[in-house]
Amino acid sequence: MLEVRNLCGGYGGGNVLHGIDLTLAAGQTLALLGPNGAGKSTLMAALTGTLDKRSGSMRFDGREMGEAASHDIVAHGLALVPEGRHMFAPFSVEDNLRLGAIRLHHPTNARLQAQFDGVYRLFPRLAERRNQATGTLSGGEQQMVAIGRALMSAPRLLLLDEPFLGLAPKVVEEIHDALERLRGAGLTMLLVEQKLDIALRFAAQACVMVKGRIMLNESSRALAERADLDQLYFQLARAVDMS
Amino acid sequence: MQDLIELAISATAGGCIYALLALAYLVVLRPTGIINFAVGDWATVAAFAGYLGLSRYELPWAAGMPLVIVLAALLGWVTERIAVRPLVERGAPVLAPILALLGMLVVFRESVSLIFGPDPLPVPQPLGYGRIEWGLIAGSYQSFFIMGVTALLFCGTWYFFERTLAGRSFEAVALDRKAAALMGINLRRVTACAFAAGGAIAGLAALLLTPNTSAHYLMGIPLAIQGFTALVIGGVGRIEGALAGGLILSFAEQLTVRYAPIPAGLAQGVPLVLLIGFLLVRPQGLLLARGSSR
Repeated sequence: MLEVRNLCGGYGGGNVLHGIDLTLAAGQTLALLGPNGAGKSTLMAALTGTLDKRSGSMRFDGREMGEAASHDIVAHGLALVPEGRHMFAPFSVEDNLRLGAIRLHHPTNARLQAQFDGVYRLFPRLAERRNQATGTLSGGEQQMVAIGRALMSAPRLLLLDEPFLGLAPKVVEEIHDALERLRGAGLTMLLVEQKLDIALRFAAQACVMVKGRIMLNESSRALAERADLDQLYFQLARAVDMS
Repeated sequence: MQDLIELAISATAGGCIYALLALAYLVVLRPTGIINFAVGDWATVAAFAGYLGLSRYELPWAAGMPLVIVLAALLGWVTERIAVRPLVERGAPVLAPILALLGMLVVFRESVSLIFGPDPLPVPQPLGYGRIEWGLIAGSYQSFFIMGVTALLFCGTWYFFERTLAGRSFEAVALDRKAAALMGINLRRVTACAFAAGGAIAGLAALLLTPNTSAHYLMGIPLAIQGFTALVIGGVGRIEGALAGGLILSFAEQLTVRYAPIPAGLAQGVPLVLLIGFLLVRPQGLLLARGSSR
């Protein structure tokens, strides 16, 4: 579904991404792991066309999108839940969600309603608060809006950038359950995480990114069984420095 | 009393012009972060288009006014293509298009002076000369025309931003560019539309103003300053701020001219004093954007 080859890019002067290769099959869930500053969020920006500059190839559903603008990428079914949620804070939950569906091509009311219903089924709490300004919601509820907003565009590939960051354990479980249900419905997902445990529990396959490079790509089970798991980021960083 | 009410009506009409110019700044500034000082000279160009259409070729207002506004929108759109988009696409900082627009301002002004010469040229009154007198309420037709059109435009603009999806997506870009891009909002198109709308509003302001003042190639700078002052007074968060700022500025000016014991020439300094005062004391303006806690 997604095939990234030799993707480079960054902000302003230097490159943050150094030749990323990444493949994601339809229906797969992939975890992208790595320490702070590894370039995970920059990679998400490159995939969604919101990075200042990028080069290399990105094929999505057989279509080359390496140079596509962000609105075309969304229109073709790739949505990102950005790190830090990025609410339109003064807008109501419903307005936030409606904006998520802005790239649906001339949706009928019924189609739009179906998208809303899907999100409200996944997060019933949002239905209760549909007219409330998102700036007044709790962090967990805002994260639900962020995920719901991305789902409103009916994506075939959903990227999630640290969706559990700063949330209470109970809310983490709630969102984790929602993601499991999306997986059950066959949605392809890429989950960016710093924390190994939650990512390896969720995704079947895991990549580890260090210093702008993908250093490891194996099944979550194999990764979880490595004896040197605690030291993994450190060792991979050293491997980058030596090469 | 009669005197004060008449002054209030003419000050309100004048404030409407300032409010429109502030709104022309605002619709560009909100989604793009660009302060566009060329609004004054968009108004100049539109004023001369109004002279050509309404005076020279004697088009009726009903035809001439929409025509000039469409041309002004086109002017805004072209300005963005020439002076803003090439810079933004090269990743220039936001100061670069602001300076480029200052350059465009000079281009517009000097083009107008080359084509039309330095003398003021008349634009006819849309409703003819005459006065409305309802008891104490009295003023020229033009004053009431200005107030009516401005009220309609502000209502329309409010409706657009609050009630339509396109307006919400403009606001979304203003609130969070990155998130707006991730929704699939076309940032380039929003920028282009913002400049076209800014041009149209500045053009409308010129058409309302010039029947009283005539079209003159130097009219742009004072308009740019007064509009910017109204914007600073009202705050850049919401459109009601532009209206409030314009009215406050105009009342301050006219009350000073009428009642303060200073020479009339000094009264021209009122907007600048207000501008400096607000920048020092309350730089965020009177009205805050919703969701802002300052």
